[in-house]
Amino acid sequence: MSEEEKKSFWQNMKEVLYGMASHDMSRYAVRTRASMEHLFILITMGDMIGVPILPPYYSLRLLPYVVPQIATWKRRLLREKDVSDAMF
Amino acid sequence: MSLKHIFEEHPERRYIMFGGKGGLGKTTFSAATAYWLAQQGKKVLVFSVDPQASLSDIFQKDIFGKGPVQIMENLWAQEIDADQHIKAYQNEIRQKILDMYGFDEVPEEIEQYIQAASAEPAMEESAIFDAVVDIVVQGDYDYYIYDLVPLGHALYYLSMAKVYDEWINKITKLREEMREYEEMVSRLKREKETEEDQILKELQYIRGRINASSQILTDKEKTGFFFVIIPEEMILVDTAKAAELFAKFDVPIMGYVVNRVVPRELLGQNIPSYLKNRIEMQDKYLKQIDETFGNQVASRVPELERDVTGLEMIKKLSEIMYGQKVGEKL
Repeated sequence: MSEEEKKSFWQNMKEVLYGMASHDMSRYAVRTRASMEHLFILITMGDMIGVPILPPYYSLRLLPYVVPQIATWKRRLLREKDVSDAMF
Repeated sequence: MSLKHIFEEHPERRYIMFGGKGGLGKTTFSAATAYWLAQQGKKVLVFSVDPQASLSDIFQKDIFGKGPVQIMENLWAQEIDADQHIKAYQNEIRQKILDMYGFDEVPEEIEQYIQAASAEPAMEESAIFDAVVDIVVQGDYDYYIYDLVPLGHALYYLSMAKVYDEWINKITKLREEMREYEEMVSRLKREKETEEDQILKELQYIRGRINASSQILTDKEKTGFFFVIIPEEMILVDTAKAAELFAKFDVPIMGYVVNRVVPRELLGQNIPSYLKNRIEMQDKYLKQIDETFGNQVASRVPELERDVTGLEMIKKLSEIMYGQKVGEKL
């Protein structure tokens, strides 16, 4: 077995182990992180969807950092809820 | 206590503010005080944030939005143009977005938000105080004389600063929690260190700015606040209320300056009863002022024969205000 193949064997083992042991955990963490991100945007940029939370002067400073998330955030907050939400 | 005495006794108080209801002479006293201090060899900046600022009028020079303009030796004056400040700030934000994401133009909904946010009334207050922090933080002058806009404005800002602070604390906490999750994920995935959270840094910066600006108003060591009053009932009632509120927010009050006192020498002359009545009325309220504020009354300034504009009149007024000896009353 060449050196390279050995490496990829261990690499595979590592990935299988990761998938079995911690993938779910990290997926959960990523999800929580995303919800928090949305909460964060809500309390800083609430005005955007008509929720006046607080001082616009300084929230403008934060605006550049959340630009890419704004669209998903709005979609998530403004969408209608249905039964399928409870299932996933 | 005379004004001169107060300044000599507290050389560490370098942020001087005159506050009071509109039209009582805040700008006039700011200018006269700045003039006097400049004459004493101190480097002084007198500045105003009022959109209807009158420093331009009193110094008879258009200084609005032009940065610090030298009036005479040691004396600079500045009128902050809040609109201009907000516009520059908006552009800075837009530019940052364009640079960060390589856009050609700011996305429409983001642009709308930038414009809507700037239309809010709180925007101007914040912009003004932010500009003030910039000026004071630079620390180029010995004295900063702050020609304050009417009282409500300052109080509003002080209370806002407290709310802001709470708000920032909360979101900073949330942000830190978010960071923990992020680190957890990268540990699980065995990735290298997560990059520094720019937002957290930004939040800390914001908190610093807010604290700095409310500190300028409430710093017991360096700030001195004078109330400008006139001997009339309504003014006294309002000022008493404002003083109470200011005390609640820890604004250090240095004294009261009574303006528009009709010269008592007139009584010796043959004057119409109209004037006599006014003097009587003022006597009543002057007595009340002395009873209420005691030795906090720093100066009584007479009604002058003409309005105070131009350096000549400012000089005259500063001689009246700062020429009074300790304990001397009009």
